[in-house]
Amino acid sequence: MILRPAQSSYRVIGKYSGKVITGVGLLMTIPMVTALAMREYNAFFDFVIGCALSMVIGLGAQAFFRTDKDLNWGEGLVVSAGSWIWAVMLAAVPYWLSGHYKSFLDACFDTMSGFTTTGLLLVQDLDHMSYALNMWRHLITYAGGQGIVVIALTFLFKGTAGAYKMYVGEGKDERLLPNVIQTARAIWLVSIVYLGVGTLVLTVVNMFLGIAPVRAFFMATWAFMGAWSTGGFAPMSYNTVYYHSLIQEVVTIIIMVAGSMNFALHWAVWTGKRKEIYKNIEIQSFTTGVIVFSALAMVGLMRAGIYPDAMALARKTLYTIISGATTTGVSIVYARALVTQWGPIGLVAITLSMMIGASACSTGGGIKGIRVGIMFKAFVQDVKQTIMPENSIMRTKYHHIKDSDLTDELIKGTGMIVLLFLLTYLFSAVLGLLCGYDFTQALFEGVSAISNTGLSCGVTSPSMPEVMKVAYIIFMWVGRLEFVSVFAVGAHLIAVFKGK
Amino acid sequence: MRWTKARKRVVLETAIVFMVVAAILLVFLIVRKPGVTGTAWVNPNKYSSSTLIETPKKFDGKAIEFTGEAVGESMVRSAGKNGAKGAWIHLNDDAYMNHGVEAGGGFNGYNSGMAIWVEPASLTKAIEHYGRYKENGDIVRIAGTFNAACAEHGGDMDIHATGIEIVQRGKTITHKVYAWKLISALFLVILALAMLAINRRRFLKEQIAVFMNR
Repeated sequence: MILRPAQSSYRVIGKYSGKVITGVGLLMTIPMVTALAMREYNAFFDFVIGCALSMVIGLGAQAFFRTDKDLNWGEGLVVSAGSWIWAVMLAAVPYWLSGHYKSFLDACFDTMSGFTTTGLLLVQDLDHMSYALNMWRHLITYAGGQGIVVIALTFLFKGTAGAYKMYVGEGKDERLLPNVIQTARAIWLVSIVYLGVGTLVLTVVNMFLGIAPVRAFFMATWAFMGAWSTGGFAPMSYNTVYYHSLIQEVVTIIIMVAGSMNFALHWAVWTGKRKEIYKNIEIQSFTTGVIVFSALAMVGLMRAGIYPDAMALARKTLYTIISGATTTGVSIVYARALVTQWGPIGLVAITLSMMIGASACSTGGGIKGIRVGIMFKAFVQDVKQTIMPENSIMRTKYHHIKDSDLTDELIKGTGMIVLLFLLTYLFSAVLGLLCGYDFTQALFEGVSAISNTGLSCGVTSPSMPEVMKVAYIIFMWVGRLEFVSVFAVGAHLIAVFKGK
Repeated sequence: MRWTKARKRVVLETAIVFMVVAAILLVFLIVRKPGVTGTAWVNPNKYSSSTLIETPKKFDGKAIEFTGEAVGESMVRSAGKNGAKGAWIHLNDDAYMNHGVEAGGGFNGYNSGMAIWVEPASLTKAIEHYGRYKENGDIVRIAGTFNAACAEHGGDMDIHATGIEIVQRGKTITHKVYAWKLISALFLVILALAMLAINRRRFLKEQIAVFMNR
């Protein structure tokens, strides 16, 4: 029998959702300051409206839903997934007011793309966009990389057991420190230190490339946010093609690889366990993937004879494959050139790298290196088992921060998530096919949305069918939260309507 | 202040009213402005940037003319030959080259353009305005050679310009602040402050507790 949630359940969900929404409102003060500094007064009022509206709803929810009850697992997951919907809609208000979007749906598409660190976009006339709105686009992706709930946990929560349930609901389950609030703050500490160093380095690089100091600083901040969060946004429609610079490409590769690594790995290295870099299963999985898929793409490109020399071939291939494997989506190739120059082999290589994606508990998306590593080890274990004596018992371990046993329960859970990802990838391709797109391109774009990568081969555009826009919004959301929280929302809704 | 039952009820009712008003306003914001599609766009180029990207092989190594709005900035670099310097500029041949979308250009899809390598860099000094939020860029015509994957620039798709001409001067744009935005902002700020006042006691208490726990 399905039980209808108690009134106290609504109250606790409302209260904690209100806190997260308030956090989104507070975040809008940063583009407000940017607008004032750059004298963009029209944009300033867009953010005042967005910020005040978020505060009214966030604070209103906290005033209305008063309770001292803590969150249970189901409620924590609903708050996480539900807060993302609210955050997406409210963050879209300044987008919509700017006049760069043809519909509110398009604006929501871009905010979902930002928060999930995807990087697909429907914005029109990006090259004439204000500094304030560009700051908001990149701030959304930077904040989304750490997690909206992590922001709220850092600044607006006191330590409760329920806080951990919200944190897990956002697709993260690593505890860097014993307390989840301290863990959230540790994630921010890592991210902010990298932001400072990365922005400084990129500002110097940009000035060296011939960009004026103030603009160099802003473009560096945004380039860092786009790469670190594995979001892939850029302030110019040309994306990273705009810079025409090997140095810029090398620096952004370092940042996006760092951003795609597990926060627990960062913390281990920070606290002196440097050997973890070589031993970690996710790093091994990532490195193998980049080598194999780069080789595949290079074979295709060499056969087509696109690039004039080995250096150009290596530069374009490695950057694009690493961008895909880290699920960043920054690009040094025009979107349509992936189809017209790279061809089917190139597209397949990038698609495979995006499918696997980055590390768990990082800013990246996709199936995740740790799951692929576990499934691979499970496969090898099964093969070995068949050639060993019948009564022998095999014990396989994998290393992620510490050595762990490969248990049947772990393999089953991992296999379930991998299967869900693969089915969703397939579904996105079939949907694209039904809407009239080529299958390879539809699969590429669908995988890009679900794995939160953002590389595009031209399927995503303001003129794409509305049904695909809605589907991609859901894909990005499901991919970021890794299914469980979204299922919890579905179960909650069923319980509301059908429960007794 | 004691939280009596009657006081709690008043606060709850006030919160409900405020939230309903906020929801109405949200709906108002969402439906306020349908997007306007721009007028039919005629590209000034015989071979547009879209054509070049879609069929790069066909034009590789060929001499072409290309016209577009200069956007971003001129980025001066060492050219590596005789100590001379070159510069990267970007020309957009899209529907926004005369009017950006916020300057009333209407919607016509993504930006589209081509990267141009200009040598010597001094040629780009003729460009005064680069398209940005507050600027409509100069409309620039260049003549040069198209490279599907340039050997000199790491495989980038670009045009090496041999000549540059200003077709139309750009201008600085003033973005006016609309009265309805001012009024909406004022109204919502008052509502937000009211919400803050309602939450004040509990909110402050919680925040103090959070900071004490750090």
